[in-house]
Amino acid sequence: MKDTDIDRAFSSATRVPHELDPALLDQIADSIKLSLRPVRAMPPSWVLTGGLMLTLLAVALAGAARAGFGGFESLRPLERLLIFGAGGALVLATARGVVSEAVPGSRRDLSSGTLLGVSCAGLISVFALLFHDYRSEHFVSAGVICLITGLLHSIPIAALSWLILRRGFAVDPSSAATAGGTLAGLGGLMMLELHCANLETLHVMVWHTAVVAVSGGCGALVGMLIGRYRRGR
Amino acid sequence: MRGYQAGDFSAARSLIEQVSPRLLRFFLSQSTSRSDAEDLVQETWLRIHRVRHTYRPGESVMAWSYAIARHARLDHYRRVVRTSAQQERLDEGIEPLAIAPEQDESEDELEAMLAPLSEGQREIIEMLKVAGMSLEEVARATCTTVGAVKQKVHRAYKILRKTIAPDGLKRRASGGLA
Repeated sequence: MKDTDIDRAFSSATRVPHELDPALLDQIADSIKLSLRPVRAMPPSWVLTGGLMLTLLAVALAGAARAGFGGFESLRPLERLLIFGAGGALVLATARGVVSEAVPGSRRDLSSGTLLGVSCAGLISVFALLFHDYRSEHFVSAGVICLITGLLHSIPIAALSWLILRRGFAVDPSSAATAGGTLAGLGGLMMLELHCANLETLHVMVWHTAVVAVSGGCGALVGMLIGRYRRGR
Repeated sequence: MRGYQAGDFSAARSLIEQVSPRLLRFFLSQSTSRSDAEDLVQETWLRIHRVRHTYRPGESVMAWSYAIARHARLDHYRRVVRTSAQQERLDEGIEPLAIAPEQDESEDELEAMLAPLSEGQREIIEMLKVAGMSLEEVARATCTTVGAVKQKVHRAYKILRKTIAPDGLKRRASGGLA
């Protein structure tokens, strides 16, 4: 049996078109007739992606401007280049992912779970490569402060992202919210990299990356709840 | 689609007439009864109408509408599972009455061919081979990558090569349906 034979079998089996009851077509047409008004199509993906990235940048910079740029100042040029270069690439990929989740039938390069995993793994690798101070003073107390600071900056990014994409329709709310949470978490992490001057390897690897993981996880949870609510309606 | 977005009823009507039969076939290929499939076509159109602004000119209408249809089906499936679980609890001890869904000959034929495949494989084969969508369109409709679609098709064909008997194929190819 060749593939062409299977194709032929399919074309033969589907030769007869499926007739739909004309009354059903009328019913569908009538159901939309009353609310049929002109609508404005959503902007192109690059506009939405750019909007998300600018929002993230604005919140991270505003947060660091208020709290101080201690982290950025204590980094060497190569560290700045690698951390913000990798962060920027992850933000771009995640922002594109968030936009494609909000528009049905969009091209998708990576699933939202993969985006979250790749973001965390990529950041941990960059931090492991750059930082070699393995002391861990005040590991938990300093870490929790960074985690909370990062997450507090993720919240406005998530809210503003929702505002930008509010006209979209996520066919899979759980996946969309996971991607949105990951993006917001990356914004929180960028703020920490600008602000936090603690360059201990374990602190940066665990607590800074945890902002992305926790934010993405919270997004997934919120998405699941939205999905349940939508189905229950 | 542009006419529909501009509020032109005749454009909307024409789109309904073109897309609905494909949606019906898509739902029927997923082992859904005809009445459920017709309900799902209506449900999908309500969703399409609500989010018609999310279609961007130049994009594939089929990928966009199938993405919405696919999730209408998933929601329907989850609702059915939940309802039947509740029903099972209520009907414990009562013999259920089996009602066979009404199907025409072509539905039987396609159903038989797709029967050995998993839900995900059926969905993709239906879009590719029945609806005539491209790999890129299928990937967009199923929120996945072209590579993942190719892999599913490869696995589905591996199963179909074993399950479609040459004599059965001959019967189908010679116009048994026509």
